[in-house]
Amino acid sequence: MVNILLNPEKETGIIGWGSYIPRYRLPLDEIARIWGFAKETPRGLRTFEKAVASRDEDATTMGWEAAFNALRRAGINPREIGAVWFGTESKPYAVKPSATVIAEALGITPDTMATDLEFACRAASEAMRIAIGAVASKLVKYALVIGSDTAQAEPGDILEFTASSAATAFIIGSSNEAVAVFEASYTYVTDTPDFWRRAYIPYPLHGEGFTGEPAYFHHIVNAVKGLLEKTGLSINDFDYAIFHQPNGSFPLKVARKLGIPKEKVLPGLVTPYIGNSYNASALIGLSKVLDNAKPGDRILLAPFGSGAGSDAYSIVVTDKIIDRRDKAPKVEDYLARKKIIDYGMYAKCRGLIKRIRR
Amino acid sequence: MKYSIARYWREKHSYYRLKATKCLKCGKINYPPSKVCRYCGSRELEDLELFGPAKVLTWTIIHTSPIGYEEYRPLIIAMVELLETGVRIITRLTDIDPEEVREGMLVEPVLRRTGEDGEAGIIRYALLFRPLIKGASEIGSNK
Repeated sequence: MVNILLNPEKETGIIGWGSYIPRYRLPLDEIARIWGFAKETPRGLRTFEKAVASRDEDATTMGWEAAFNALRRAGINPREIGAVWFGTESKPYAVKPSATVIAEALGITPDTMATDLEFACRAASEAMRIAIGAVASKLVKYALVIGSDTAQAEPGDILEFTASSAATAFIIGSSNEAVAVFEASYTYVTDTPDFWRRAYIPYPLHGEGFTGEPAYFHHIVNAVKGLLEKTGLSINDFDYAIFHQPNGSFPLKVARKLGIPKEKVLPGLVTPYIGNSYNASALIGLSKVLDNAKPGDRILLAPFGSGAGSDAYSIVVTDKIIDRRDKAPKVEDYLARKKIIDYGMYAKCRGLIKRIRR
Repeated sequence: MKYSIARYWREKHSYYRLKATKCLKCGKINYPPSKVCRYCGSRELEDLELFGPAKVLTWTIIHTSPIGYEEYRPLIIAMVELLETGVRIITRLTDIDPEEVREGMLVEPVLRRTGEDGEAGIIRYALLFRPLIKGASEIGSNK
């Protein structure tokens, strides 16, 4: 029992995983055209299109579909889930949990914990660490972790190029049922004001260049170093590396700082095709890697959230992944399903046009 | 407020999971669910969830929508037949343009926002149907 408490991760793993990407894509060139940016501006972000939730979608509906896909792969009775933790910074209600809507719609209620968590882009990752503890301690048999966002950005702000919509979900359970086992995890947080949104303010503000070195890079690098010290693993022991993806270039840059070749990063890099989906950002990268990984692969995962913090995980794939990966649509299926829209449609879908709501 | 909160709460499982009732006497499925079988009058019914894939039988396009649905226009209202039970329901299709709809096309239920009670009222969620996502080998079962 003492060993379990010192290293609870090894008792736990991912039982099911699933993601969701909305159908609409807005080319970044279209944003540059509307707001008068240089054509080169989106190129620097190494991002080409961003996913846009349609008018009948929000963080709750996207989270529902990601969680439904995770349930399909897990193949468990939804009533056995004892916790639904929903990480988002774009709650449809300021007060009223999305977690209960999803839990009810998936047949998980009423014998479950359920709450929404907020920590910019890493609330869902915090939920994953909480889920590891809850499952390892046998407080719950399974925990459902969801990251979902319809990320907001002020029209015309540089942030608008990448702020996008998507969701991802994981069911955490015992390691002996898992498609991928947690070896270890480590979290590094400080008070760093790189990005924020005050109450009643519709769009977040950010510290421009300050979001890079003191925030994203400092926290991810230290989280990964902490994980390596904790486990004794070397950076070369990992087959894949997945980092938070605010744009297409930061993950490659942080990989270079850590001595990781880009070939280990590119398989989980989704942002160039859908933008930064905030709480789904790094985790949808994990979802994509699990769609293709083989038993024995070791994955380094390091989500990041402004404010600021990063978690680093070592995850090892098991042979159970083979039978489960085809039980739900893969990230590639959602990437292939797309319709290009213009800025007007984007503005309508994301509520940027002020109407009198009757 | 336009919406009855009590009614939405009471009917949530029909909206979220396509809850129906099956008559234990005549075997017919009542959707929306009923406590009295609308086919034989029996009061012996059991709950049933119809959640699953369907095929499009027929549809119409609504360009002049009721108040509150302007942002969802054009509305594609379809009659679909659920593959597992053969039950036919009227629903709204989503994630598809009007010219893409075809008779017999396969669709699957997805949870969507279906209305808001103004700026401050409740948000309504319900299952709509959209074209099957390519790649899913086991469609529609989370039971």
